[in-house]
Amino acid sequence: MIALENIELRQGSFELSDLSLELASGEYGVLMGRSGCGKTTLLEAVCGLRNIAGGRIILGGRDVTQLPPAERGVGYVPQDRALFPTMLVREQLAFALVLRALGQAEIAGRVDELAELLGITGLLDRTPDKLSGGEAQRVALGRALAHAPAVLCLDEPLAALDEELHGEMCRLLERVHRETGVTVLHITHSPSEARRLAGCHFRLADGKVTRDENRSCA
Amino acid sequence: MSAPPPSGFHVASDKPFLVGLAVLGGSYLLIISAMVLADLVFLNYSDQPVLGPEMVRQGRYTGDEVVVPVEPDRSYYFRKGNNDAGLQLGQQRIAGDGLFQAAGDRAVLLPHANNKPITASLRPEVRVMQIAVTNQVATVTTDVAHGLLWGEFIRVSGAGEPGWDGVREITDTATNQLSFAVAGAAVSAAKLSLSKPNPLVQALRSRDIRFSIKLSLISCTLTTLLSLWVAVPIGYMMSRFEFRGKPVIDTLLDIPIVLPPLVVGLSLLILFRYMPEWLSDAVVYKWPAVVLAQFMVACAFAVRTMRVTFDQIPQRFEQVALTLGCNRRQAFWRVIMPQARGGLLAAGTLAWARALGEFGPILVFAGATRQKTEVLPTSAFLELQAGRTEGMLAVSLIMIGAAVVVFVIARTLGMKRIFA
Repeated sequence: MIALENIELRQGSFELSDLSLELASGEYGVLMGRSGCGKTTLLEAVCGLRNIAGGRIILGGRDVTQLPPAERGVGYVPQDRALFPTMLVREQLAFALVLRALGQAEIAGRVDELAELLGITGLLDRTPDKLSGGEAQRVALGRALAHAPAVLCLDEPLAALDEELHGEMCRLLERVHRETGVTVLHITHSPSEARRLAGCHFRLADGKVTRDENRSCA
Repeated sequence: MSAPPPSGFHVASDKPFLVGLAVLGGSYLLIISAMVLADLVFLNYSDQPVLGPEMVRQGRYTGDEVVVPVEPDRSYYFRKGNNDAGLQLGQQRIAGDGLFQAAGDRAVLLPHANNKPITASLRPEVRVMQIAVTNQVATVTTDVAHGLLWGEFIRVSGAGEPGWDGVREITDTATNQLSFAVAGAAVSAAKLSLSKPNPLVQALRSRDIRFSIKLSLISCTLTTLLSLWVAVPIGYMMSRFEFRGKPVIDTLLDIPIVLPPLVVGLSLLILFRYMPEWLSDAVVYKWPAVVLAQFMVACAFAVRTMRVTFDQIPQRFEQVALTLGCNRRQAFWRVIMPQARGGLLAAGTLAWARALGEFGPILVFAGATRQKTEVLPTSAFLELQAGRTEGMLAVSLIMIGAAVVVFVIARTLGMKRIFA
């Protein structure tokens, strides 16, 4: 689960204060807001990449406010995906597992499993510059899921894709969500994209997070 | 005439702009290539004859010609000056520079105009008169003064005896005599001929220049390693972190680039007056001073390059790595450094090239002692001071060659992305 309690964020002259948000375990949360309203900043705060000036962040029942990003158990897919350019797809998927000093066989098994789930088995020996937008998105998703995080943070995962890939990617996200049971926080600026996604919907506007009552959680 | 477009809007041709770019860029490129080419063309790569004293007396052309008595069948070297039209030898007319064999007993200098100073030069080729061998040292007596110096190299040929032919170092000289070591028995003077090897051979044979090549290669490599060792952390820090006093540090880092090189050397020299004696004894005017002087300047360039390199790698990569379980150190080594490889090579090459060319600070801080603190630029300077332009050029060519080799290695190691 994700619980943000009275979060206060400052970045230069930009300021957000007293933000709260709650998402139960295994839910798919969609946070919508205009460009520049602080969605990405909030997501970075959840991942521990940005210090918060006040408040608490609770992930999976643990207060992680003071923990470094590595110990928070989050998977992060930034908007630009940031695939490591010097690594093969296989190495990207294995990255988090190698850091956890897992055995080679175990890593290989997990990588194959992920590749199968995301339909990228044929891409394992490519470098990121040989991937299309949709493929890169799948790899970034796989990399973030490799260490089985409790929370998956997606920053505009559909924004850089062609319109026709949107439907496919939405279905994939739903499937990943269903099969892994991970709690997802998906942020988007596009109302039409938000409409396509199931789950709990939130809106960030005027420095406040409000729950969209029309799309309440299951 | 065609009708103007309905809007009446015209855009001026791109041609002047593109031509301007081509002219400005092209002229700079032309100067660069001409510069390097001139160095390569200027050197005379063939052996030069050993010449005796000048036979043309200074003065002005008064009549039509100046007569110089010559020996028939002897070789002479003629160099035409600005005021001379050439040399007349009986029927033969010589207009260019070079060796010729005298047919008669007189050579006539032909002037361009009357009452101009004589600028031509005529010198006989030295002939070997007598050879004596004692204790494996050959002492050659020449018929005229040869003008060669101790420590220079000479090519011996036509001896017809093993252990003679080849490039030999002159171990002793007198006006009409020179000595060099040989491994064979005495040979006849009539067959032996001497010539001066080209300046590159002279330079590469010289013990001083051999030492300076060695010191240059070692000190530049040391400097490069030290520079990278310092430049990577500073570049990363300046690129990634915001902290108080960062603008001050930024300015400090540029000081070695903007300071006149001599001042860098002087500042180091003065700094070491405040150091403990054992330290300044070990450094100043010794080879560590060479490395330190090179490092001060080369490192500043390496820092700049590394900083730009890290600036070009988005912070996102580290952020993702952090969420995947890295600490900052792991994110740096596993994700950032592999991407910075090209930049690292560029910084290393730049530092190496800067270090190779460093002269001012070394001269002040390490001195210019032969076989002690002599690096290639110092050699070039010493050659110039000794009046040997060709030697200086030979040293310059060695430096150009070394730089080219390093750049080619760096490029093939995969920095096409940086330089292309």
